Amino acid sequence: MMRTAAIYAERKLGHKTVAVLPVHYPREIFTAMDVHTVELWGPPGPPRGPDAGRIQAYACAVVRNALAFLASGGADAADAILFPHTCDSIQGLATLAPDFGGWGKPALRYLHPKGGDGPAARTFVRAELVHLADRLAELTGRPLALPRLAEAIRLHARIDRLRGEILSRRAFLGMDDRELYRLLRRGEFLAPGDHLAELAAAARGLGGERAQRGVPLMVTGYVPEPATILDSLASAGAFVAADDYAAVGRRVPLSPPADGGDPLDTLAAKAFTMPPCPTRGGDQDVRMEYLETLYRRSESAGLIVHIQKFCEPELFDVPAIRRRFARIGAPLLYLEGEMEASLSGQVVTRLEAFVEMVDAGRKAP
Amino acid sequence: MIARRVRYEITARALGPALVAMERWRSRLRRRGRGAGRAEGPFGPPLESTRKLKELTALHYLAGRFADGAVPVAWVTSGFPVEMLRPLGFHTVYPENHGAICSVKRMVPELSDAAEREGYSRDLCGYARADLGSVATGKTPVGRLPRPDLLCCCTNICQTVLYWYRALAAHFRVPLVVIDTPFVYGEAQPHLLAYVADQLRELTEIAERVAGRKVDRAALVETMRLAREGTRLWDECLRAGRARPSPWTGFDSFFHLAPIVAMRGTRECNAYYRMLRDELNDRVARGVGGIADERVRLLWDNLPIWFNLRDLSTVLARNGFNIVCATYTNAWAEAGSMIDPADPEGSSARAYLHVLLNRDLPHKISIMKRLCREHGATGAIFHSDRSCKPYSIGQIDLMGRLASETGVKGLLLEADHADPRAWSEAQAYNRLHAFMELFA
Ligand code: SF4
Ligand code: SF4
Repeated sequence: MMRTAAIYAERKLGHKTVAVLPVHYPREIFTAMDVHTVELWGPPGPPRGPDAGRIQAYACAVVRNALAFLASGGADAADAILFPHTCDSIQGLATLAPDFGGWGKPALRYLHPKGGDGPAARTFVRAELVHLADRLAELTGRPLALPRLAEAIRLHARIDRLRGEILSRRAFLGMDDRELYRLLRRGEFLAPGDHLAELAAAARGLGGERAQRGVPLMVTGYVPEPATILDSLASAGAFVAADDYAAVGRRVPLSPPADGGDPLDTLAAKAFTMPPCPTRGGDQDVRMEYLETLYRRSESAGLIVHIQKFCEPELFDVPAIRRRFARIGAPLLYLEGEMEASLSGQVVTRLEAFVEMVDAGRKAP
Repeated sequence: MIARRVRYEITARALGPALVAMERWRSRLRRRGRGAGRAEGPFGPPLESTRKLKELTALHYLAGRFADGAVPVAWVTSGFPVEMLRPLGFHTVYPENHGAICSVKRMVPELSDAAEREGYSRDLCGYARADLGSVATGKTPVGRLPRPDLLCCCTNICQTVLYWYRALAAHFRVPLVVIDTPFVYGEAQPHLLAYVADQLRELTEIAERVAGRKVDRAALVETMRLAREGTRLWDECLRAGRARPSPWTGFDSFFHLAPIVAMRGTRECNAYYRMLRDELNDRVARGVGGIADERVRLLWDNLPIWFNLRDLSTVLARNGFNIVCATYTNAWAEAGSMIDPADPEGSSARAYLHVLLNRDLPHKISIMKRLCREHGATGAIFHSDRSCKPYSIGQIDLMGRLASETGVKGLLLEADHADPRAWSEAQAYNRLHAFMELFA
């Protein structure tokens, strides 16, 4: 509902809207071309309408729900759709819906490289950005203006910096997890300027004193859905001290973009400054190193691995995560979901037991 | 190193062929006792080439036992542009092919259990689970797999291989080369072609470093020529299936696919397919079919159900149904024709981007329609493969379209290409019998 309201507000300004599938995409180009983006993570809950049945039940709920949602007209307010090159399932959806029914408006794709960060990948990202800008120009009737892109890069760098600051100093923020994630995830559909204002207001609340007293936990996984997981954590006496969700923490660059120069080069370079994410490939050891550092820096006392069932990119890293965190003696809870509307009682009990166990471990002499 | 090399060469060139010759002699005796070349059950007489195929496979895996430390070893995905490695003398191992062998030998549950104990989910690709379980336990039906010096993965069949090979790289602590082939919607744009060609040049540098020698361009050109010729020969074998009756079954072709996947770009591969093609054409001329009484001709979509090929083919054959074409086997006959020895990197980029699994659904349906038309298939079995998402997503629509646009009747058969635990025999055969009744 909020997403639709944001689309209509942007439409009044004469802006086109593109619905975006997970995970990574160069939002700066859209901002520079006055194209509003609204992300589509599922949506959670049971699929709308029968079209989910066009994809076998052994594919993840994210793509099954997305197909049902698109085919039932759920994203009709958008003018186009973007499928980032995230995984085999989204890749399949990116031809199924536009070519065989479910989405009749323009379909864009963003193919980000999976093969490391050598010169071939860097050249390709830049070329792909130009290609995407050309497709957006067809949609808007206006070409990409480089000064506007430079401006958009600066705007998003400010957003990224605030998101990074809030996440890394999370224990000093007096918001509960539900509020925090509501704030961070509003970035999925708000106009960037509006999101920036909300983040700036929240960041002012980052005090010098620790505001979170619960059991600090790190979470790695895909997307914090169902959002009731955050309520359950809170009522069990824990909070998310470090975030490695693909939808959230993994989209905050590790370093700011370079100043000046060709904005397309700057944006292409940004793709290689992101935290490790299995959907982008990269060395598994580097990712494990990153996760351990995040865990230690946040002084987390336990790790929750929160995966979507059938999600191959995430699932293949689970053994390495288990090994690494066992080695450092970190308690780990593994949860698998299917974009349910709320957590089952059984999962809530497991969460509570885990928090209790971690807390007892912390207090033990 | 030298001793290992000598042992490897002796195994590959002398001991292996001697063992194979002995086995050939023994099996000739056995077959003489049974009556060689006679039809068995509902099938036509067995293909003579199958014996040669077994020998080739046995030799490859036998030599592989002694490959590490003797020659550079690369583990390679089936869609990888392996031609680039051949001139550097790599012994190549195909974990997917190994996975298929594990499945035929019914070892996947045990290997998968081992992988699951490591934390891998049962929802992952059956080949990956078999391989990771084999790596964890050292168990394999082929004796021993050599340790890799280089891991080579190409995303043109799926992204699964990327995640799988990342895990292998972390385990073996050897370099991983990823040839990233972005999915092609329509035709590949120039920047995609340039990207893949650039990666192939980067691959050469890494492979040269691992092999400790430089690529001989003349040898590379020759390998490319052989690969293109091999693809053409494989295509000729598949075209034999257009005859009525088809001289072989789709299930035969699944096995005979191994050389074009794992030995592409070698003389042995091409010699083998010349022999197979000639045998198939001879059968066509003599009217010898893959099954005894072919009444209904079918298309197969997706990977084979490796662990159940014999039973499934028998049920179909008994009822006069023959798989005469398959999107899976055809995939290896398609893109290789784009290879141009004069431009190894550029033409490989085009060829390896345009493989079936890396292309959109309109392309897939056009291939299916063409195969059905050319082979006179009036039905299609869509193996809905639980653990191969890239091949399976879209099948439900493909089946509906094929039926509505061409009248080809379809059956969606749920299984797993490698793991029998996902196979519900009674349910599958009920559905299969109901499907066959549609053709009564
Ligand atoms: S949950 Fe995983 S498999 Fe599903 S769309 Fe997202 S990345 Fe792909
Ligand atoms: S079976 Fe499917 S998922 Fe597995 S390696 Fe092959 S294409 Fe990839």
